[in-house]
Parts: sequence; structure tokens; C-alpha cells
Amino acid sequence: MSDVPDGAGPSSTRRWALVYVLLTPAVVLPLWVSLYDREDPTFLGFPFYYWFQFALIVIAVSLTVPAYLLAKGADRADRQAHGLPPEPTGQQMQEGGEPR
Amino acid sequence: MIDDVNGVAFGIFIFLFLVVTVLGFAAARWRRAKSMASLDEWGLGGRGFGTFIAWFLIGGDIYTAYTFIAVPATLYAGSAVGFFAVPYTIVVYPLIFLFLPRLWSVSHRHGYVTPADFVQGRYDSRALALVVALTGILATMPYIALQLVGMQVVLEVMGVGTDSDNWFVKDLPLFIAFVVLAAYTYSSGLRAPALIAFVKDTLIYIVILVAVFYIPGQIGGWDHIFSTVGDSFASFNSENADAIAAGEAAPKATMPPEALHWAYGSLALGSALALFMYPHSVTGVLSTRSRSVIRRNAALLPAYSFLLGLLALLGFVAIAAGVKVENPQQSVPQLFEEQFSPWFAGVAFAAIVIGALVPAAIMSIAAANLWTRNIYRAFINRNATHAQEAAQSKVASLLVKFGALIFVLALSKSFAINLQLLGGVWILQTLPAIVIGLYTRWMHRWALFAGWAVGMAWGTWLAYGVASPAQDHFGGPLVNFPGTETKVYIALVAFLANLVVAIVLTFVFRAMHLAEGVDQTRGQDYYADAGDPGVEDELEPTEAVRP
Repeated sequence: MSDVPDGAGPSSTRRWALVYVLLTPAVVLPLWVSLYDREDPTFLGFPFYYWFQFALIVIAVSLTVPAYLLAKGADRADRQAHGLPPEPTGQQMQEGGEPR
Repeated sequence: MIDDVNGVAFGIFIFLFLVVTVLGFAAARWRRAKSMASLDEWGLGGRGFGTFIAWFLIGGDIYTAYTFIAVPATLYAGSAVGFFAVPYTIVVYPLIFLFLPRLWSVSHRHGYVTPADFVQGRYDSRALALVVALTGILATMPYIALQLVGMQVVLEVMGVGTDSDNWFVKDLPLFIAFVVLAAYTYSSGLRAPALIAFVKDTLIYIVILVAVFYIPGQIGGWDHIFSTVGDSFASFNSENADAIAAGEAAPKATMPPEALHWAYGSLALGSALALFMYPHSVTGVLSTRSRSVIRRNAALLPAYSFLLGLLALLGFVAIAAGVKVENPQQSVPQLFEEQFSPWFAGVAFAAIVIGALVPAAIMSIAAANLWTRNIYRAFINRNATHAQEAAQSKVASLLVKFGALIFVLALSKSFAINLQLLGGVWILQTLPAIVIGLYTRWMHRWALFAGWAVGMAWGTWLAYGVASPAQDHFGGPLVNFPGTETKVYIALVAFLANLVVAIVLTFVFRAMHLAEGVDQTRGQDYYADAGDPGVEDELEPTEAVRP
């Protein structure tokens, strides 16, 4: 079998698109240096350049959390599209418990 | 042997080191398996770590002692791009979020232990898997060596060591620490660093939080710190204006000037892309219990980035506190010694040294797994049993560590740092084979091979050609992007060349109908989770011993 089949269905595609929309700022903003390359306004004595990068960490996390929830649903749809049950059926996977 | 060592600081340090040593050996009994004689157990800790343990383990893996020494050192030294470590560790998590769950799934379905295992299974090419494995080992060795450099710096500031000219006697304390590390890694495998990581990170968090809240208050607040640093850099730049104009010295700055924006961004992006190609990161990820552990950690691990940013700023705090050291890497340990009471300085030193042991252990395990799976089993003993594999890896982990030790002690430190720079360039060249392979098999295996070769050769050549005020070659990570005057990270330039070659040759080889090999993996393998058929088997390795 060659390429990963692309038959995941519209609901998973739309969910993944949203995940990408959520995660893109977390990648693009930190790399866009001219956006935050300045001294003012300062915050608690920190120049903007420094505190904004700390703020970006918080922003990235707050985008990753909804992305996580969306990806969970998207994974379920993808699994079904690839002939797997939406949730694993085995005994191993008991949330929170020790694996063995 | 020990003259100007503070007894209290040293006592606390030794105590914490002993605690960790006991933990390291006890780890063999932690989450005990029926048998440690397989790579799933020794090399991946039983593949059963949940969100909490994985957070400590992967955190300990990425944010190494060397990072904790080197990043503030760059700020202390006034490098304008030094703070890129923060955007780098922000950008890396969305990438992890997207592609590593796929690697987890396919690896658990097929029992892959290393990234090269996946490449072998996906592309049916022993040559491609071999170069991916060799690149991983080559890039990891200097990384381990740098952990030793980090330990050495702390020991120097503590005043531990001897005045002997003999390199072996001089670094005896380092040597002892490493023998201990090697011994418990050998017996406990990945469980040792996983357990020690709890202690390491707890200590590091306490030390850094105390440092960033206590020390700035002592020396006049962050306002004062930033203005003192600004003044200090401005006076350095005006005193050395001639040398800077002649290119013999680098101007100091607190933030990158316009000309270095691309440098800053490309270092962050290139390092983020490279990070999860390193075998030790993959080892950390494959040791987790289920797919969602990785995604949850992509939201939780940035806590360490916050810590890293604060720690980086301690380089500025050291300037404002009047710390004067020849080697910028000593600035933060020196700051701790001057500002903390002796017992807490002891805790801080222990935190950094233990912080070196965790990644050094994981890296040596990862390199050893590559050796065993992709060289020993692929070329030397094709019918190796699980027990033979584990035995090979254990010995290989010793060899890798002592190689790194000899490296740092007998050769020069700058050689290790140069190699680490190259390591980042090299490891990124394995990305097309691994990450693109997770999504599509369109790329031709020989095109990937050729792209890898071009990226490696050109990247090395570019790095060789970079001169700095201190050295003629390997002077830094930046080159002008071809055809422009804009400085960017070498690894990304080489990576783009790699990608172009791989794509063009894929068209050519497909047109020539060159054999593609057989793909072991199926579409659904990339979505499998713990509890699916096939994945269960991997979680019970003791039942799956090959004849």
C-alpha cells in the first residue's frame, strides 16, 4: 500500500483545518521578529521584546488546548475512515490507570 | 585537592547526588516488568509512561543542563540572537502536536524503536535507514559531550577539581559522576532518567523561581537590571567601535537589530524542526502510553519554555549584579554562588549537574538503540533475539558515554561545541525521510537518500566556511542566504537544498520506474492507539520474544 488514503471524510477535514488555523499563530508570531522588536511599552520593568515573548508562550498554550479537543474528534473520524473503531477496544487503555 | 570549596554547599551537593544515585539503581524495580531483556523495556521504559511522567521525562530531555548553562551565557555575552531559544521552544510544540502522534502510532503497530526503524519499514531501504541512524548517532555524541561541559562548568565554579596537569586526574570528579551515571543507565535503562527527572526538575524549578524572584529584588529590580545591561553594552560598543567596524569583535545588543531578524527567526524554526529528529526526543515520545499523552504534553511542556526564558534573563541579572567571569558559561553558577547562601547554592549546583545526567542518559540510550536496531540487527545479526538486542544496547550505551567523556576531557571543549553546531545541521537532513514519510510515500527512497547527501555535504561545507573573531572555521550558525545579504541558519539552507533535490529526483526516478521497495505500513497504522490490535502486543514484549 502506498500513500495514506485521503478518505477521512468532510467532518475530519474541517476539524483538521480548524486545528491548523488555531496552531498557525503559535508558529508564525514567534518567528515574526519585527512584530515585537521594541522597548516600549514595558511591563514590570521588562522591555516589550522580552515580555511579549513570554506572553507568546501563554498564547500558544491557550491555542493548543482547543486544538487538542478538536484533534480528539478529528482522530475519531479518521480512525473510522481507516477501518478502525472510533475508540480502541482493547483492555490496556484505561484512562488514568497504570498500564499493567 | 579541595581548598576553596564551601563545605556546606559541597555537602548538600554530594547529598543530592547520592539521592539521585540510589534512585537511579532503584529505578530498575520501578513499574517492574517481567523481564528487562528487551529494548521495549530497557530502551523505552516499557512504553507505558503516562502524561505526568512523560512531562518530566521529555522536559528533562529537551531542556538540558547545557541549555541551562549556554542560553544565559549568550545573553551575558551580549549576543543579540541568544534569546531565540524561547521562540524556538514555542514553535516546536505545534509541530510535535501535528506529526509525532502519527510516528507514535506507526511505531507501536510495528514495534519500531528508533526513527530509522520507521524509515526502513516505510521505504524498504536499508541504505536510507542506515544513514538516518548514523546521522542520529553522529549528532547525539557531541550533544552528550556538551552535557559534560555543563557539569564541568558547575564543578569549576564550586572549586571542585585538582590542579594536576594530567587531564584524567584533573577531572576526576567528573569522571566519577559519569561512571555512576553509566552504571545505573546500564542496569535500569530508560527508567533511571525517568525517575531521576522528577528530582531534577523539581530542583530546577525551585532554584529558578527563587533566583528570578529573589536576586532581582536584591540588586534593584528588573528596571534597573535592563538599564544597567543597556548601559554596559553601549559602553562596550563605543569602546570597541574600531574593532567592531573591522569585524574583529561583535557588537553587543539586548535584542536583534533589523539585519538579524531572519537569523533569529530561522534559528528558532530550524532548531524546532531539528529537535524532534534527534533520536533522544523520539525515544522520549515512543516511551509514552498512548497517542494523547503526546498531544497533552504539547500543551503542558511550554511551562519549561517559561522557565528557560527566565533562566536566560539570569545572564542579564549576572551583569547587573557585577559578576565578572572570563568564560560566560560560568556567569550563572557564579551568580548563584555570590547571591545565595551556601546551602542553597549547593542545591542549585546539584540541580544543574543532575540536569546533565538525565539527558545524557536518555541520549546514550537513544544512540545505543540506533546502533542495535539499525546497524547490529540490520547488518550483523539479522536474527537477533530481544535479549540479544537489549544486551547490545546496554554495552553500546556505555561505549557512547565513555566516547563522549574522552571527547570532552582529552580533546578540546570548542571541538565539542563545533560538532554540536554541526549536529543540528545534520539531524535536520533526516526530516524529509521521517516527517514527509509520515504523511505520504510519494517521495522516492533514492531521491531522499540523494537529498540527504546533498544537505549533509553542503551544510557541513557552509559551517566550515563561517569565521568568527575567535576561530577561522565553524565560527557560528549563520550564513548569508544564497544570492542575498540576509543571514539565516545554515541548517535551514541545507534543508531547502535537500528538499529540492529530493523532489526533483523523485520525479526523475519515478519516470525511470526505479524500484520503490515494499511499504510495510498501512494507512490505518498512522491512527492506531493503545488498545488496538497489534498495539497490544507491543505492550507485552515479554510474550513476543522471537525464536
